[in-house]
Amino acid sequence: MPISLTRRTVLGAMLAPAIIRPTLGHAAEPIRLGAILSATGPGAGVGLPQRNGVLLAVKAINEKGGIAGRPIELLVEDDGSNPDAAVTKANNLIFSQKVKAIIGPTLTASTLSVGGVADPEKIAVMPFTGLGLEMEKQRRSVFHMLPTQDLNARALLEFVTKNMKTRKVAVLHDSAYGNIVMTKLKEVNATYNVDFVAAEKWEVGATDVTTQAAKIKATAPDVVLVIGNSATPFRNLRQIRMNAPLMSALGTASYEYVRAMGDAADNIIFAEFLVAEDPLPYQKDFVETFHKEYDTFPKTMEASAWDAVHAVAAGIAKAGPDATPAAISDAIRGPYAGAMAKFDFSAPDLTGLSLSSYVYSKLEKGKFTRVPFTAGQ
Amino acid sequence: MKYSGYILLAIVWLALPFVLERHAIDLLVFCGFYAVAGAGVGFLLGQGGIVNLGQAAFYGLGAYSSAYCTVQLGLPAPVGILTGVVVSLCLAFLIGRPILRLSGYFLALATLALGIICSNLFYEAEFITGGTLGIPGVPKLSVLGFALDTPTKFYFLIWPVAVLCVLSMRSLMSSRIGLAMQAMRDAPEAAMVLAIDISRLKLWMFLISSVLGSVAGSLFAHYVGFVNVDSFGVERSIFFLLVPVIGGAASPAGVLVGALFVGLVPEALSVLGDIHRVLFGLALVATVVFFPDGLIGLLKRLADTCIPARRQALKMEQSR
Repeated sequence: MPISLTRRTVLGAMLAPAIIRPTLGHAAEPIRLGAILSATGPGAGVGLPQRNGVLLAVKAINEKGGIAGRPIELLVEDDGSNPDAAVTKANNLIFSQKVKAIIGPTLTASTLSVGGVADPEKIAVMPFTGLGLEMEKQRRSVFHMLPTQDLNARALLEFVTKNMKTRKVAVLHDSAYGNIVMTKLKEVNATYNVDFVAAEKWEVGATDVTTQAAKIKATAPDVVLVIGNSATPFRNLRQIRMNAPLMSALGTASYEYVRAMGDAADNIIFAEFLVAEDPLPYQKDFVETFHKEYDTFPKTMEASAWDAVHAVAAGIAKAGPDATPAAISDAIRGPYAGAMAKFDFSAPDLTGLSLSSYVYSKLEKGKFTRVPFTAGQ
Repeated sequence: MKYSGYILLAIVWLALPFVLERHAIDLLVFCGFYAVAGAGVGFLLGQGGIVNLGQAAFYGLGAYSSAYCTVQLGLPAPVGILTGVVVSLCLAFLIGRPILRLSGYFLALATLALGIICSNLFYEAEFITGGTLGIPGVPKLSVLGFALDTPTKFYFLIWPVAVLCVLSMRSLMSSRIGLAMQAMRDAPEAAMVLAIDISRLKLWMFLISSVLGSVAGSLFAHYVGFVNVDSFGVERSIFFLLVPVIGGAASPAGVLVGALFVGLVPEALSVLGDIHRVLFGLALVATVVFFPDGLIGLLKRLADTCIPARRQALKMEQSR
């Protein structure tokens, strides 16, 4: 069930506290963790669901007795979707608040800037982004919770060529995240041999992309890949009666975006990681816990946030609650079976996700339905 | 006794890094960047009556020049800073000549367009700017072999730079050129009658403003170590305009106060949760409504009321 924006939920979100302290009953000294999320600005569309996942994970861990008997105290910071602000927040969390690890940031640019501060201190960072630049591989304390853009590109083309069995593809992407995926689509296309009949771009924040949609329609593609964090292109494509199937990358697979798509939210295929209406066996517990807490279904962002906190908690439990940040980072660096997918933080891309980690869903009357297809086979 | 206030301020400034936490010093360093870039905007606004909504373009040019020269070309940091200044001057000269013929809202819109165009160019010129991913790994500044690799060390660089900018502005304002600027701002027709070349004067002011924006951007790049297009959008230009508006555009020192306000208040309010942006907006509106001379005007009024010597001087002035 999608979240309804009532006055209460809006006010509740606005007044969300910045520090989540353990409830009474925990006498032991808390273990302090930090979170840098984009609760405001362009990244809020994914940052707010991530915050829900993080808060729920901390609550669940504390209710089960914390880590080695010590509760988690979480300090949540909003970077306003700005990498400069993310740096000042990281400086606060690392040097003033002495946190053991940082959950987030939400966006790639913030991840790159926070990594520059945290990695020399060997503080584990769990960003909700994929590996962006080659030099990030040298940052051994920055573990990524989402796939690389290279893998996102492959996941799209796997479905197009092997499930839809078509090669006439058009791409409509934004100037930020979509631009990177577009570059990767071209790079990996040697393997898939797809014919990109059109590639149109919209600027981040654009409120109308009808012109680009019309150009796409004129090429009569068999499928349109829509890559970005906006519901607008989906609406515009349907408004001009573009009847070919639309396929989207991870960014828009959320109930908030689906609601914003309105009547256009039908027959759209997503390459993602969690279909809560039909979860995989290892995802069921998380989906039930989330649904019980928020009365709504989670998606990939909430699941990755839940996993980030649990992966850090597992690392702290392994290294010991009083371990140094470097020891905690070392303990995290390894396989971790999460609710979103199975990670391997010791992999070269610091994520360990593979094509088979993806699940595919299709929107039917505003609901996600799992498509029986496994990529990478 | 005349300089006792300044001496006290200097002592407080020197003592702050030994009293405050690293996070607070980090914020003060950012305030320093805002003060330098905002000084350029304040100079145009206060002395020329020009609303500059494109300062982030020069801030970005400075930052990308430094990042590109040091990371991609392996050149020393001063070369990058100088490149930023030269590129900014060239752009300000080329763009300034046509747009500074405009005035009022039209000129403000033209500077806004400059900011938007440059922001898009930063996105598109991926081979230089790194596009969405930006340029990481910008080296820390080093002065005579002394690396400015902590907020405290950078604090002792950026604030003297900001104060130097303010003192230069003051000096310029009290010169013949400063008087010409004031004449141009208050009575452009009369200024033209007095043979003041208004378009040339405006261009010079725009060039100075662009240099300040570029230097602030270069220093920012070396401090943060990462440059990305998200730091140079229209929102950042508006932020730079807020610095003199809140601090007080009529006095060059106003940008120092304004920079502290826009840098510290959002952070102080952030403990209240996501509502902090709404509260910051309200604080801005309240400041503009209640203190039209800016916060520096309020501080001056407070000083006139509270300091006996100033109170007496004010009374004597009023009795005359």
